[in-house]
Amino acid sequence: MNGRSGLFKFFLFLFLFVIILLQFLSMVQSDRLYKRLNVLIGRLESAPSAPARRTEKPPADKSSIFQEYPGDEGDWLVRNLEGEPATLCDFLAISEWSSRWIVTGNIFEPMVEYEPDEFKFRGRLAEKFSISDDGLVIYFKLRDNIRFSDGHPVTTDDVIFTFNTITDPNIDAAAYANYFRDVDHYEKINDKEIKFYMKRVYFLSLGYLGGMTIYPEHIYKYKDAREFNERRSNPVGTGPYVFEKWDVGRQIVLRRNENYWGPKPKVKKIVFTFITNTTAELQALLSGQIDYMRPMPDQYAEKVNDENFKEDFHCLSYWDASNTGYFWIGWNEARPFFADRKVRLAMTHIIDREAILKHILRNPEAQIPAGHFYIYGKQCDPNIKPWPYDPEKAKQLLDEAGWVDHDGDGIRDKNGVPFRFKYMICADLALHEQIAKLVKDAAASAGIEVILDPYEWSVFAQKVKDREFDAVSMAWGGNVEEDPYQVWHSSQRQKGSNYVNFNNPQADALIEQARQTLDPDKRNALYHQFNRILHEEQPYTFIYTRPEQRFLAKRFNNVIIHKLGIDEREWYVPKELQKYK
Amino acid sequence: MTTYIIRRLLLMIPTLLGITIVVFAISRAAPGDPVSLAMGPGGMMDAQRAADVRAARMRLYGLDKPVYTQFGIWIGRVARLNFGDSIKHHRPVIDLIKERLPITLTLNLISFIIIYAISIPMGILSAVGRKKFLDRVSSVMLLMLWSLPSMWVGQMLIGYLCGPPLNWFPPAGLSSNDAEQFPFFPWLVDRLWHLVLPVFCLTYAGFAYLTKLVRAGMLDNLRADYVRTARAKGLSNWVVIFRHAFRNSIIPVITIMATLLPAMFGGSIIIERIFSVSGMGLLAFEAVTTRDYNVVMGVATIAGFLNLIGLLLADIAYAMVDPRISFESVE
Repeated sequence: MNGRSGLFKFFLFLFLFVIILLQFLSMVQSDRLYKRLNVLIGRLESAPSAPARRTEKPPADKSSIFQEYPGDEGDWLVRNLEGEPATLCDFLAISEWSSRWIVTGNIFEPMVEYEPDEFKFRGRLAEKFSISDDGLVIYFKLRDNIRFSDGHPVTTDDVIFTFNTITDPNIDAAAYANYFRDVDHYEKINDKEIKFYMKRVYFLSLGYLGGMTIYPEHIYKYKDAREFNERRSNPVGTGPYVFEKWDVGRQIVLRRNENYWGPKPKVKKIVFTFITNTTAELQALLSGQIDYMRPMPDQYAEKVNDENFKEDFHCLSYWDASNTGYFWIGWNEARPFFADRKVRLAMTHIIDREAILKHILRNPEAQIPAGHFYIYGKQCDPNIKPWPYDPEKAKQLLDEAGWVDHDGDGIRDKNGVPFRFKYMICADLALHEQIAKLVKDAAASAGIEVILDPYEWSVFAQKVKDREFDAVSMAWGGNVEEDPYQVWHSSQRQKGSNYVNFNNPQADALIEQARQTLDPDKRNALYHQFNRILHEEQPYTFIYTRPEQRFLAKRFNNVIIHKLGIDEREWYVPKELQKYK
Repeated sequence: MTTYIIRRLLLMIPTLLGITIVVFAISRAAPGDPVSLAMGPGGMMDAQRAADVRAARMRLYGLDKPVYTQFGIWIGRVARLNFGDSIKHHRPVIDLIKERLPITLTLNLISFIIIYAISIPMGILSAVGRKKFLDRVSSVMLLMLWSLPSMWVGQMLIGYLCGPPLNWFPPAGLSSNDAEQFPFFPWLVDRLWHLVLPVFCLTYAGFAYLTKLVRAGMLDNLRADYVRTARAKGLSNWVVIFRHAFRNSIIPVITIMATLLPAMFGGSIIIERIFSVSGMGLLAFEAVTTRDYNVVMGVATIAGFLNLIGLLLADIAYAMVDPRISFESVE
């Protein structure tokens, strides 16, 4: 019996060991999933609030937010999210921002938001808002008629409560609180008016403060920060929808706020589902289980030409100004290969970006950006055209830079060093790999050897942080207005996001000056100059920027594509087509 | 017997401690941590601010302390049956498990019942008609099913059966959007309709193993002397098979049921992901990918504990089903 029990224990430990090993393997493997989040996070770290733009005078209150929506009332919108949110508080620091914001955007409202058709702010909860001439005092006046969904009026106390909660160090909102670090103090004038005093002038401050969504103090008030951090459900806000229920793992249901202070949307309920499998998601759409989804690029490219599909579904492709961003290849200037501008420029000329858009992205509306900014925004200089695909020019530039094939082995060299570099990619996204292979082929034909260097996400992120790469490809997220400081200022070379060691004193001066210039025209002129420098220096090869894509059931009407994106609140379903009651 | 059980229970404590230490060490040794994974490689925040934000969040989660202190704090909490809070969800780990466990249990219970209900008769039939047509065909079929990866099968089923033109099954989830408005029976039908594909994917590969197990046990017993004696007594064939051979050959089948306990708890990451069912498997998977240490540790500890209990139950079940095994001799 002893021998048997010993053997038994041996197997027991072996079994446990195998389980632990599997656990570890799954940990390592599953990091791949994180690659996708990469793009989202990059995008979202930059944009938890609407970016600011100075408003000359407060707009008149006849703004479009009081216009009634057309169409019949009723029906539900069933919309799939790419993941289940962990919380319905929109500023707690949890990685899945985007799916959460899609939900909370219906429940909470900011003081200030963008006009849908203009690069201009309008008040949502704020009736008036302004920034003083010296840029140090920001003023908000709340509307008189606004109430939370439980009937309580919205006052400046709620604004102060929200602000204090976000900046409370015990609340897990450090990433978001970071946007309010310039606030020196605030002053409550009365129940409807408040002033924020800033420590320094910054053109994005108004947008950061105005973009803050307002939480009701009488509901969210907490003694212990833990209480607030743990409160994930039952959100109460001012928005056009109120929370109905959350069946964990299945759906979140919002119903229309019948006491909404503004014009009520026509759709009575929004149901959010969490289908994680993209094949199943499309099948769910086709079989009518969901109405609205974000397709994979391949799915879109396939269905957009399918007439049968288009009879039943809208294929929406639009530029979402709060969700711009671009894919790039960065050339590490700290490495001998890419210190020379001519070499970087040659790399750009080698890569056939039109081919990438056409054959890899398969998206006819995708564009090649010529710089850091949203291509249809005002910061971007429309006169700068991306460098063309020109391998001959590239070879000439490489020759001029001294990279010539001296020893006749087919690879260019300089001072005895062959032009052979490592191009780091994140191993998980097929798209990145396809682009990398194209680059490798193109470079080979110009006498440059590219070694692809794929890593899974967590290692990749660490290596990017440590600048351990010759070339790397990633994507940045963007917004209507961006501050390029973190990515391009020379002070960010050691630890910031200036991974490619870009160091240009002229660019530094422009970036610093633009941050403190409140006049949009003057500021954008500075950004145009900066844009020109980026274009000439080519620290990145800017690969693509692309529009958002959606599939939506055809029964929804009044689907308008605005300059800054789409607004689901305008949609309605004619009575005879309504599906749910 | 009682002393044996007590001794085994006491032995579990160091084993569990060992498991937790290893899981803890491995989860901390994996590259990245929850904060840097959530923040990405820097984002568009300037360097100093990013470092401050990171420090603030590490402090908030208690990750700024040395690793051994963290482990001490963790083990102290677990001794009081508190698995701590999830970093991602900001909620007690035990609550998350409570939410997910019923889903996984439903799926697994149905699957196991189906596996047993089909495998046992199949095993008996194969053994009785050994090397005959049915035995051969079922062997080949079951082995084929066994070797199909469920990831691929699930995807194919969704791709072909769930959309137009067939539209036979729903592609995701466990009930329809408006299922709450249904009366009980339509609701039940709706739920079962949603369960068909995931349960199929969970079961088809399981038949082979159990059928072979039953078949092997039956063959051993059918050849045994007592069966021949029973036949010689003139008992009918069915009485011999069911009352004699089958009852003896079911012993291994009953005992492996005990090891199902942890499997019930674990859930299947692949099936849950493919069919968008958020059960234990997805919870654990998500926790691992976001380095949500407390959830990883909680799930691993509970799974480890259930494993140990399952093994103990298996031993006890041996003794109970088979009088030839006794633990008293160990004393």
